[in-house]
Amino acid sequence: MNADMVQEQSGASVGFHTDDEHTWHRVHPVSPLVRGWVAVAAVVFIFGRNSLESVFSGGWDGNPGSLAQTAGAPALVILAVVGAAVVIFGLAFFLSWRFTRYQVTDEHVHINSGVVFRQQRRARIDRVQAIDVVQPLVARVFGLAELKFEVADGGKSALKLSFLKLGEAQRLRAAILARASGAVADPASPGQVHEAPETHVLALKPGRIIAAAFLGSTTIFALCVVVAGVVAVRWSGEPAILVAGVPIFIGIGAGYWKAITGDFNFRVAVSPDGVRLYYGMLETRAQTIPPGRVQAVGISQGPLWRLLGWYRVHINVAGYGADSSGHGSRTVLLPVGTLDEVMAVLGLVFPDPGVENPFAVFIAGLRGPGNAEGFVHSPRSARWIDPLAWRHNAFRATDTALLCRHGVIFRNLQVVPHERTQSLRLRQGPLMAALGLVDFELHSTAGPVRPLVHHLSVENGKQLFAEQAARAATARRIHRKEKWLAPDAGPVIEPATAVIDPVQTSQQQPTQEQDHGD
Amino acid sequence: MGRKNLRRQHSSAIDPGDVVFLRVSEKLITARFIERGLTGLIFLAITIVPLVLRLTGVWSGYPAWLAWGLPAVVVLSIMWEMILIPRQVRAIGYAERDDDLLIRGGIMFHRVMVVPYGRMQYVDVTMGPLERMLGLSTIHLHTASPGTNAMLNGLPAAEAARLREQLSARGEAKLAGL
Repeated sequence: MNADMVQEQSGASVGFHTDDEHTWHRVHPVSPLVRGWVAVAAVVFIFGRNSLESVFSGGWDGNPGSLAQTAGAPALVILAVVGAAVVIFGLAFFLSWRFTRYQVTDEHVHINSGVVFRQQRRARIDRVQAIDVVQPLVARVFGLAELKFEVADGGKSALKLSFLKLGEAQRLRAAILARASGAVADPASPGQVHEAPETHVLALKPGRIIAAAFLGSTTIFALCVVVAGVVAVRWSGEPAILVAGVPIFIGIGAGYWKAITGDFNFRVAVSPDGVRLYYGMLETRAQTIPPGRVQAVGISQGPLWRLLGWYRVHINVAGYGADSSGHGSRTVLLPVGTLDEVMAVLGLVFPDPGVENPFAVFIAGLRGPGNAEGFVHSPRSARWIDPLAWRHNAFRATDTALLCRHGVIFRNLQVVPHERTQSLRLRQGPLMAALGLVDFELHSTAGPVRPLVHHLSVENGKQLFAEQAARAATARRIHRKEKWLAPDAGPVIEPATAVIDPVQTSQQQPTQEQDHGD
Repeated sequence: MGRKNLRRQHSSAIDPGDVVFLRVSEKLITARFIERGLTGLIFLAITIVPLVLRLTGVWSGYPAWLAWGLPAVVVLSIMWEMILIPRQVRAIGYAERDDDLLIRGGIMFHRVMVVPYGRMQYVDVTMGPLERMLGLSTIHLHTASPGTNAMLNGLPAAEAARLREQLSARGEAKLAGL
């Protein structure tokens, strides 16, 4: 707590040394302003407009005294209010900066914050699920960035460090990832880490992003609105009805804007620390997903995209949850890509497809229908409830993953590695029981991908249920490595303290000293 | 460890073969009768108000078919539920296998769920006032997935405690990363 123990940000060293127990750092002093600029701007705007209005409405007769009089409030009062605002904001910003400290040790990331309600958070580095370096527009002006450290708690509470100098944020990211990977430290300088080199994989051209946005579901919706509008005008003979469409079209425009600016400059790179995604026009984001942190992958294709052979790839990462911040694009591994690009990114997150001919299998999974490449689809009786899709709804288990295919118009392929299976469920309603069908659900962590196989025959469903449970159990036994660069020493047995005790009688957790296990 | 089952367990086509399911306590039937009965009575009390008003002449404009029909529907649905409850409770079953816990349930909407021990994040054991009176507990298994809705109602308290200990021991032995 002593002031002398607190170091200001040191940007001098090239590498990064992890901190000992007593070294604490502060975020950049400008950060509260970057976070709270909206409030400041609002106050400035209100006072500025009032005083400007008074200037113009009061006229200008060359007499400063009369100006103050006509303004309805003496200049002194305005000054006092502005002064008070500056002091209050300044004090609040100063305190919030002063009370926020962080520390990155070899094992943990600590963040202490809060003036009145103090919060101390501690997260285990080896439990990191993903790290984002985010630069909102205002932060970019100052050359600052926010570091987001995700642990597996369903996207509820990432550890955030806002804001640091961009270089500092990148160094911290490298340090955390190096510690999480379990890479052997350089014996000459223990504690020193270097950023892992990264290799460019692919980048999307602006034209593709724009075309993809205009051929997406927003356009289908817009077409529906236009058709509905035309029908309404024809039917009622009142063109004024179209006014009601204005807010809808503003919304549609905003949707396009979000899709384009959010995914702009999308770039994928890979490093030993994991897959790195860069994107954004105004707010830029660099996501790092370490190896083995992807819980499930979903590849989808709408009807308009089929004409161009484009796909979108979603992922489930335990820390992201269903979090929709950043326009829901955090869970997107590839916003729009051709088959080859999809295969390229799949290869990054999922290096071992577990089949000899992965291309053929995945193409069969993406295109269907039928039972090519070992896919098992719904039985004939399913056509009563699935007249179009029954030959498309199918699954295939490879040695390493389960592939679930569904849909005719909106096509979808879900891939879940066996070792990421959380739990399984079979469901059957009365109608399905009559037709001899069953739904198979595979539970993954919270996210956009919800693996499901519709309307299997009871026999296939039961077999899949039993086999998948066994496959998942086997895969878990083999695959126990959390630290991906650590030297292999047989199956890694977790120390007893590594996780939250699996048995707790209460779901409630104290906010203080929260230990983020998995 | 399950109670002696005098009546045959409800079974469905989707049950995995060669698994013997343990049943929950028959006292759960009583618990559900009381619980559903009370909820039903409250609904009945609400829907019967217009009928009373009509019969007493305060609100004679209220249509007769609605005044009689609404409570009748409520009474019928309560009775239907009451008929189903014993079968529903007897359909609940669980089985501890080497690697996972199986839970089954439902008579019209069948479901079978498997939760691997190594995937359990924590186990909740809860006891409401009604359950406490009857000596029952509810056990709820949580994994990292929000889709895992593995709940077992109506376990005798001792059995719930045993199961919790058993699950935690096996969970620790089989624990895997996410």
